[in-house]
Amino acid sequence: MSNTHPGMNRRRALQLFGVAGLGTVAAACAGPGSTASGGGSKVEGGDIGGELSFAHWRAEDKAVLDKIIKDFLAANKGVSIRQDISPSTDYQATALQRVKDAAIGDVFTALRGPQFSDMVKAGLFADLTNESVVDNYIPELIADGKGGGKQLGLPYQLVFLIPLANRDLLDKHGFSELPLSWDGFLDMCDKLKSKGITPMAFPGADAGNAGQLINGMVMNNAPSDDMFTKIESGEYKATDDWYLKTLEQYAQLRPYVQPNAAGTAHEPAQQIFASEQAALLTTGSYDAASVRALDADFAMDVFTPITVAKNEMKYEGCHNTTFILGVNTATDNQATALAFVEHLSDPEVAGTYANGTAQHVTIDGVEYDDRDLKAIEPWLSKNTLLAPRYQFTDLDIAAAVENAAIEVIGGTSPEQAAEEAQRIVDQRRK
Amino acid sequence: MAMTTAEQIPRERSSADRPRRGGPRGRSRRTRGPGFSRSLYLFALPALVLYVIFFAVPTAQAVQYALTDWDGFSATYDNVGLDNFKTIATGDDLFRNATSNSLKFLLVVVVFQTLFALVLAILLARNSRGSVLLRALYFFPTILSSVSVAFVWKFVYDPNFGLINQTLDAVGLEGLQSAFLGDSAQAIYWAAATQVWFHAGQMMVIFIAGLQQIPRELYEAAEVDGASRWAQFRHVTWPMIAPATAIVMAYTTIQSFKAFDLIIGLGGNPPKPALDILSTRIYGSFANSEFGYAAAESVVFMIIIAVLTWLQRRVVRKVQAEG
Repeated sequence: MSNTHPGMNRRRALQLFGVAGLGTVAAACAGPGSTASGGGSKVEGGDIGGELSFAHWRAEDKAVLDKIIKDFLAANKGVSIRQDISPSTDYQATALQRVKDAAIGDVFTALRGPQFSDMVKAGLFADLTNESVVDNYIPELIADGKGGGKQLGLPYQLVFLIPLANRDLLDKHGFSELPLSWDGFLDMCDKLKSKGITPMAFPGADAGNAGQLINGMVMNNAPSDDMFTKIESGEYKATDDWYLKTLEQYAQLRPYVQPNAAGTAHEPAQQIFASEQAALLTTGSYDAASVRALDADFAMDVFTPITVAKNEMKYEGCHNTTFILGVNTATDNQATALAFVEHLSDPEVAGTYANGTAQHVTIDGVEYDDRDLKAIEPWLSKNTLLAPRYQFTDLDIAAAVENAAIEVIGGTSPEQAAEEAQRIVDQRRK
Repeated sequence: MAMTTAEQIPRERSSADRPRRGGPRGRSRRTRGPGFSRSLYLFALPALVLYVIFFAVPTAQAVQYALTDWDGFSATYDNVGLDNFKTIATGDDLFRNATSNSLKFLLVVVVFQTLFALVLAILLARNSRGSVLLRALYFFPTILSSVSVAFVWKFVYDPNFGLINQTLDAVGLEGLQSAFLGDSAQAIYWAAATQVWFHAGQMMVIFIAGLQQIPRELYEAAEVDGASRWAQFRHVTWPMIAPATAIVMAYTTIQSFKAFDLIIGLGGNPPKPALDILSTRIYGSFANSEFGYAAAESVVFMIIIAVLTWLQRRVVRKVQAEG
């Protein structure tokens, strides 16, 4: 009997493994969603020190933020800060889960729209309402950081989500005064095209950037400013006259974008614009720094097609407040996290960020000395609408409605594109 | 004498060695050596634990979440029964579109990747210096990361600065220029072509291994019988590489369904509908804070892969048995 083991044989081993496996599987079937929500609680006090993760999606800002972080660390010994950066679309998809578990993002950022509202629901934001840092911001520009009456997040960047314009090129061809009507815009496009210039560089293969054009295209066409909220709620439809008219206007733009625009990615579109082959880049002011990095040396401005007659124009453009800073309720180092947010919110530091990244900020008293920021500064006082595309809270509905416009540029008929978009909206609303 | 032996054997087995249900002594006692210790079963434990943690538990969780409307972060959720599955089956054009794209992608990749890999393997099966060099060259894309491959091809396909349109322009074939990934009707096929380029070399290696196992004598016998090159391929090579073909096709199928990073790299995140495949669709549902629904999509996805792999194995066996 030397080959028998008194405590274990194959059958017993299998029984043990089986029971353990079943137990584990049964445990796995425990209900999801056990996270306790600590959202909206006040920032806890404590000593300044320890490690922080700053989670965001602006890889292009890393160098400037490194400098800002270095200054913060010099003034706060014993602190270390790591930037956890993902591309914006990946950040949109995964940040909530990672920040929720405090795997990253003691200080984190949120995109305005579905991500911010989901992060508020998930209780990720500590309440900053009574923190003195809020006083550094221009009140009307941080309204989108509120939830449940509390100032949960602080929108940091102010961007204009309307096309970038090559001011020198337009001036040279007689368009010092940009047209403020649809007919005037088409006329300008026609004249530019006749001179061998592509009126608009459109990154049709990159849905996130191609979708920016829709902000300006709907701002004057829609019957109300909350048009996309109402499409999502079912009050409006993608097949309504105002949206159909918008899609028909997209169809009119087909001759005025570069050939095969639906297949053009973001970087090639930037290149077309930077090399002065195109007069407009249909993304937003956030692309100014990237265009400069491509050795563009012309004067830049922002400008959007006005889709109505001049006397019907309500808005001249669209802006967005985003990069919403928050202190994570799940971190055990909230005091240091808040101190870092305060540092970022200092007007001088914010000025370093703004001028180093060519982004306007929402902080009061910042001096802009960057060439492009100064050129776009007059837009801070213009009548602009908060970018409508971020009204969507359902990413699939947003994609369906925005893709309809991109498909039209690619050749799909406006009616077909509108119907297909509305079918998705109807299915998603059920 | 023979009778005595034959009678003795069953008697001995029935009294001592016959396997007994539920008892500690059975087949193992017959087959294991005298030094066998049953505690050796514990060696399976680490692998089993990993399997349970990383496969059994997530699968069970996916099935359980699939029956809920959990958003991925709330403390509460509702059980919705089979509603998620009903929606997938009857009222989700996005899922249907992704399934259709996945199947088109799969079909193109399985057919062309297998074909190219087989042709390359046949041409390069001999161990000459040139063949070894070319094998390394064709295998090279496999060692690249899929994200790198996607970015390189994204620029190859770029309609303005891309290699293909520039070449067509240079040789006066502007009429053949295309938007490639921007053309909704063609985009998924261009993505599939990238996948074929990416992995054909890897499959070639599997085929070469299969070809080198075929005894030379079979070809010599076929030549003596006057078989043509095609007849040799059909009646010797093709049946003899059946195991390699089955591996290549099964692997290619699974690889095609898992082409997530390639599609995200080529089409952005989220990809537009023309490039949306099942894995990116499921990712989109997770990103849209619909964990319950995404879990249901994942379960359907698993079933589709299992059924297709099973069907494919049957077809390959049948075709090769007939060949």
